Amino acid sequence: MFFRMIFGTLFRQWKKMLMIAFTIALGASLATAMLSVMLDVGDKVNQELKTYGANITVVPKENSVVNSLYEVEDGGTAVAYLREDELGKIKTIFWAFNIVDYAPFINTKVSIGGTEADAVGTWFNHHLELPTGEQLDAGVTSMRSWWEVTDGKWLDEQTADNANYAMIGTALAQKLGVKAGDTVHISGSASDADITIAGVFDAGGDEDEKIFMPLDTAQSLGDLDGKIDSIEVSAITTPDNELAVKAAKDPKSLTISQYETWYCTAYASSICYQIQEVITDAVASPVRQVADSEGAILEKTELLMLLITILSLIGAALGICNLVTASVMERSAEIGLMKAIGAQNAAVSGLVLTEIISTAVVGGVVGFFAGWGFAQIIGHTVFGSSIEMRAVVIPLVAVLVLIVTLAGCIPAIRMMLRLSPCEVLHGK
Amino acid sequence: MSLLELKNIYKIYGDLHALDDVNLKVEKGEWLSIMGPSGSGKSTMMNIIGCMDKPTKGEVLLDGVDIAKESAKNLTTIRRDKIGLIFQQFHLVNYLTAIENVMLAQYYHSVPDEKEALEALDRVGLADRAKHLPSQLSGGEQQRVCVARALINYPEIILADEPTGNLDDANEKIVVDLFHKLHSEGTTLIVVTHDPEVAEVAQRTVYLRNGKLHKETINEHFTGEIKFDK
Repeated sequence: MFFRMIFGTLFRQWKKMLMIAFTIALGASLATAMLSVMLDVGDKVNQELKTYGANITVVPKENSVVNSLYEVEDGGTAVAYLREDELGKIKTIFWAFNIVDYAPFINTKVSIGGTEADAVGTWFNHHLELPTGEQLDAGVTSMRSWWEVTDGKWLDEQTADNANYAMIGTALAQKLGVKAGDTVHISGSASDADITIAGVFDAGGDEDEKIFMPLDTAQSLGDLDGKIDSIEVSAITTPDNELAVKAAKDPKSLTISQYETWYCTAYASSICYQIQEVITDAVASPVRQVADSEGAILEKTELLMLLITILSLIGAALGICNLVTASVMERSAEIGLMKAIGAQNAAVSGLVLTEIISTAVVGGVVGFFAGWGFAQIIGHTVFGSSIEMRAVVIPLVAVLVLIVTLAGCIPAIRMMLRLSPCEVLHGK
Repeated sequence: MSLLELKNIYKIYGDLHALDDVNLKVEKGEWLSIMGPSGSGKSTMMNIIGCMDKPTKGEVLLDGVDIAKESAKNLTTIRRDKIGLIFQQFHLVNYLTAIENVMLAQYYHSVPDEKEALEALDRVGLADRAKHLPSQLSGGEQQRVCVARALINYPEIILADEPTGNLDDANEKIVVDLFHKLHSEGTTLIVVTHDPEVAEVAQRTVYLRNGKLHKETINEHFTGEIKFDK
């Protein structure tokens, strides 16, 4: 009898129920889309921000102290070096999979045709085969994505004679009067080399006055074999919170459980800490500007998504409220009759709630899949990639739909509870 | 002890006394008619007797229990167990068939029993119309479904509000005959009506005017059968 009445109502009031299902579907779709994007946006924004360069720098401990003491950020005289043979260890830390790219740098003074210049040895698209079996092309080709190659092309480190090529900044190229394809004679403190300019780049900064060459080439010019000045690391990080800030100051101040939480979360500070554990006498520190921007953008984006979700659900609740109240008013004589022949408030409320929740389930399922579609549209439009559907979204949307449906039913249920059978049956 | 006793009942809405010091006793198995012009307090009295409303003052003793003091939840239970309601507008659920409408009362009372519901429809002569929707039934047939629904749970009182108000003469006779049959089986009937012919077939008629019990007549020639002089 109960289900006969449910089906009777759903069938008889199908237009109203369709409107309720549509309202719920709309709310559920927006909630699904926003929650999916919100939960995936961290990775997406991080990936996006990777194009702005490294977010962690690693320098020798000694240089770090000197630089801090004299407030020198770059270009200070190196008094100590990092070891090239330890570079692979960066991809062995706990958060190895979050290290998306990195590049070592060695600076040396050279003379190019009698003109003094800064040469930088680095990786361009250096191929790495890690002990874990992972293969990676790392270097400035991807980490300096904003460099505009104005002449020639990017240096391809994986070709056989890469050691004889370099990329030169526009300012230095102009000063020397060279262009891509030209060969220049470079004299270092230890040796000389004839280098062909693979490309001229415009970095829009100090790097335009430097010449970038493969690490080995620069090392041999300056007699710096196996030595590097610094490492730039691009890592996917979690925005800092109080724990991360506290740990960044002094990891020893954390309790054991706090330490474990911090260590096992991809905060920039915990990744830095882990890099320091594998690189001898190194200080790894987050590039605050980038790390802070990531955190701020991420927080604002997530807040925006959350607000849209909340507003859409409030809108859905109001819509449901109007439709269910209208439905109850339309059925007041029927509800009054049920009460008159012995239905308690709980039975009548249960009947109406079952009808609405049945409708909500249909609307919720439709809305969920529509929301998944919206999320993909947002993903491809904004981030140029699909949004990964997290399993947690399903129960979250189900609970939200239930809460919104029940909240939307409250005024109608209150009205129903107050409904006196004699008022509706006798029109009093 | 009377089955129903109203003692000094008042129902006051602001300055309006819908019922004003009404005293009434109804014995078990009695057939009582309540008559009066519009606004005399008939429906108010029916609502109070039917446990759908409470008096402002006074006692309403049903089987010795003062229902005026009961909670809304208890009143629903009393109404479900002891009172069968018949309405002028029938108030059938339009998406349920005749038998389902009867079973609805069973559902809220105990357990729906299709066989028993069919027997109730048979008692009102509608067994063959059991699977019809209200929209497929005539007014008289709908009212008979309403009667079947009212008697399905074996109530102590059947309370009918203008039961023939929307019926033609032929259907009015069918419904009154049904009341006569129910009365002869020992059911207590309280019928609120405008129609003197329907009122006069009862054993006793009380007349309401301005919320007061104006007069009372006993039908000494009670047969329970309606005579049409129209």
